[in-house]
Amino acid sequence: MESLRIVPGKGDKAATVQDTSNSFGLHDTLKYGPRSLAAEVQSTGKIRDRLENWEATQDNLKLQMQRQLFGLHMPMRLMMERKIVSQNPHMPILPQSNLHLDILMGRDETLECADFMTPASEMAHPLDIHADMEKKLRM
Amino acid sequence: MATASVYSGPGFDFTNEVRNNFLTERGIPLPKATSTGTTIVGCLFKDGVILGADTRATEGPIVADKNCEKIHYITDNIRCCGAGTAADTEFTTALISSNMELHSLSTGRKPRVVTAMTMLKQMLFRYQGQIGAALVLGGVDVTGPQLFTIHPHGSTDKLPYVTMGSGSLAAMAVFEAQWKPNMERAEALDLVCAAVSAGIFNDLGSGSNVDACVITASHTETLRNFVKPNERVQKERSYTFRRGTTEWKKEEIRALVVEEDITHITGGRGAEEAMDTS
Repeated sequence: MESLRIVPGKGDKAATVQDTSNSFGLHDTLKYGPRSLAAEVQSTGKIRDRLENWEATQDNLKLQMQRQLFGLHMPMRLMMERKIVSQNPHMPILPQSNLHLDILMGRDETLECADFMTPASEMAHPLDIHADMEKKLRM
Repeated sequence: MATASVYSGPGFDFTNEVRNNFLTERGIPLPKATSTGTTIVGCLFKDGVILGADTRATEGPIVADKNCEKIHYITDNIRCCGAGTAADTEFTTALISSNMELHSLSTGRKPRVVTAMTMLKQMLFRYQGQIGAALVLGGVDVTGPQLFTIHPHGSTDKLPYVTMGSGSLAAMAVFEAQWKPNMERAEALDLVCAAVSAGIFNDLGSGSNVDACVITASHTETLRNFVKPNERVQKERSYTFRRGTTEWKKEEIRALVVEEDITHITGGRGAEEAMDTS
């Protein structure tokens, strides 16, 4: 991507099963109930798309500018460092914090909504641990 | 290998979005949040900044809180008045206050008003106006006294006197008539009270008392309920009932404090008698 967007652009409308897929890639009826077209066709989530793509867009802008100024090696090294740091040998136990990754991403000295507004870990499914491990080991 | 995303998410949960859209189409609107429907003002004077606000919080046509606080703390020398959705203003200012503290610890310098303004405006722009917070930010830092307004979509203005909220027109009329540069503290405080009072008496969304906050280079003075023009009049009659108005036939007292007698079972104080936890 050669673009220098500051703000996420309009996403193309897509119908996807991604949100409710199980490890086979199909809709998980056992967990989420029967398929419904209304839920699948991505409804106008303008603010949702904007918020979800915000950090990625800003990050892409910086990396793109660094590429144009310094050459391909610069964003490549940065992304390599991030990848190294985010390899987690532990089980995906629910409370997960990666201080090194926070420092690399520049959010070690700020508080964001994501830091304290994610739903409490008790609200997540208790069986998710197995599903997460499955996903992790198969990939 | 597909790793987890390096980005922290938006922090908001959108799982109810489909349901909410469906309900709105069916004609069931979302409930109205508590709004502050306010008069908030700020003005520069000789030694610094004075912020003023009314104290009424509304929920549609109903007064939800007769004496709420609209002047929020950001740092010791910076304060922020908030108009719009009450939760949004409180929450946004609290978040920015925390971030300002972290920032000043990290840089080792006293916090500046422009830093708070930039943090606020970047956050509000990201949410595209969905956070209904219209703010008046004022403070005194090393560069001098500063006064900004921040609109819900993220635009800002730097001005010598500002008003926001539903009573902003009434308050601005007072400011436009009487503001002049380099006023004394007493004069400026009178002007701010007059402006907020104009909002209180001429706008239905504002009411109750006037709060003020005087910020100078040396210290900050919070004047909570500085003027109370809407005190409830003492009732002419007393409506309490005398003791003995209701007759009772039977009285039963149950003691909730249970008496206990302690009987020692183990004899003596031998350590071997104690519980074995190995």
